[in-house]
Amino acid sequence: MSNRQVFETLVLPHLDAAYNLARWLLRSEQAAEDATQEASMRALRYIETLRGDDARPWLLGIVRNTCFTMLERTRNQPQWVDFDDAEFEAALVEAPHLGTDPVLQLQLQRTRLQVDAAIRALSPPLREVIVLREFEDLDYAQIAKIVAVPIGTVMSRLARARGKLRAALSSIGPGE
Amino acid sequence: MSLDDPHLSSLIKRHATRHAAPDALRAGIRTQVALAEAGRSDTSAPPASKRRAWFALHWRTAAVSFAMGLACAALVLPLAQRFDLNPALDAELVADHVRALQVGPLIEVASTDRHTVKPWFQGRVDYAPPVFDLAGQGFPLVGGRIEHLRGGAVATLAYARNRHVIDVFVWPSAAQSAPVRSVHKGFNVLHWADGSMQYWAVSDVERAEMERFAQAWRQQAATQ
Repeated sequence: MSNRQVFETLVLPHLDAAYNLARWLLRSEQAAEDATQEASMRALRYIETLRGDDARPWLLGIVRNTCFTMLERTRNQPQWVDFDDAEFEAALVEAPHLGTDPVLQLQLQRTRLQVDAAIRALSPPLREVIVLREFEDLDYAQIAKIVAVPIGTVMSRLARARGKLRAALSSIGPGE
Repeated sequence: MSLDDPHLSSLIKRHATRHAAPDALRAGIRTQVALAEAGRSDTSAPPASKRRAWFALHWRTAAVSFAMGLACAALVLPLAQRFDLNPALDAELVADHVRALQVGPLIEVASTDRHTVKPWFQGRVDYAPPVFDLAGQGFPLVGGRIEHLRGGAVATLAYARNRHVIDVFVWPSAAQSAPVRSVHKGFNVLHWADGSMQYWAVSDVERAEMERFAQAWRQQAATQ
């Protein structure tokens, strides 16, 4: 298989996961697109290092490093927007159509905005472990490899992140 | 009422936004991969990763030299800046701009999609010029081309402003400078640098528009 075929069959299927991680780590769509594109080209360049590994954590590791490099490049500028009006409006418009009950729909939208805002409010090191664990279902060892920290650190970051999320989302309660 | 871990997990899984990669991005990456693989043998550009690794390794040394350099620069800069406003270069850029408008090609890759324009430069210049879509700010991207300036290939982007064309010549520079304007044969030439690239925007649009363009560009760059 040529590099291009390997890329198309093994890497490209994980592009949504790659973009999702970048979008959660960076603050604009354009930045997330650039990071995903840059990471994809790096992935192509290092495609030989994939060697039978699971392509998803491998790609996410590259995306993660690309994002942090980009953040590092702009670290003197304000980086985190905790709550973005435009994003809020967009979320309202894009909210999924779940059933026809308008009250329930409003509740779901509100929950989504609350959950998103709580995750956004985490610092990048905490946010990345939450995204890798809860969105991508990666195990501690995989996350440790991607983030390049010991497993114990992953666990303590996850615990801290969950503590913050719990505090932020306590009003929602386990019923929803 | 407190959430335990499984409940928190399911709350996130069910409610948090999953961002799907835009189709244009997917298409752009596939194109870029195809181009990169097709052009693998004939591109002489050094792999960016090697340069980056080298930089990571030596950044401490570089930082020290940089600090020393900065001290010298602080003394010399006021003088050097005067030379930086290079009338010969202005003239060359304006001549390129005019020639492109008269005989073309004004654009070798015609696209309003930066995911098409940006990868097009790969293998044509040995750096990756940033390409922004500024249509929202009133400066739609028209396309890009290569210009040969002072013996090197230079990435050139074309933007539209009403019926005018703004050419942006982009090449690497470690300098950082705020926009400086000069006028050559009635064309406005605006130059700025952001520490990784330097930009020369040339157009017959009026000064205020030109400055708005540079501002839009710099704002876009700042969100990266």
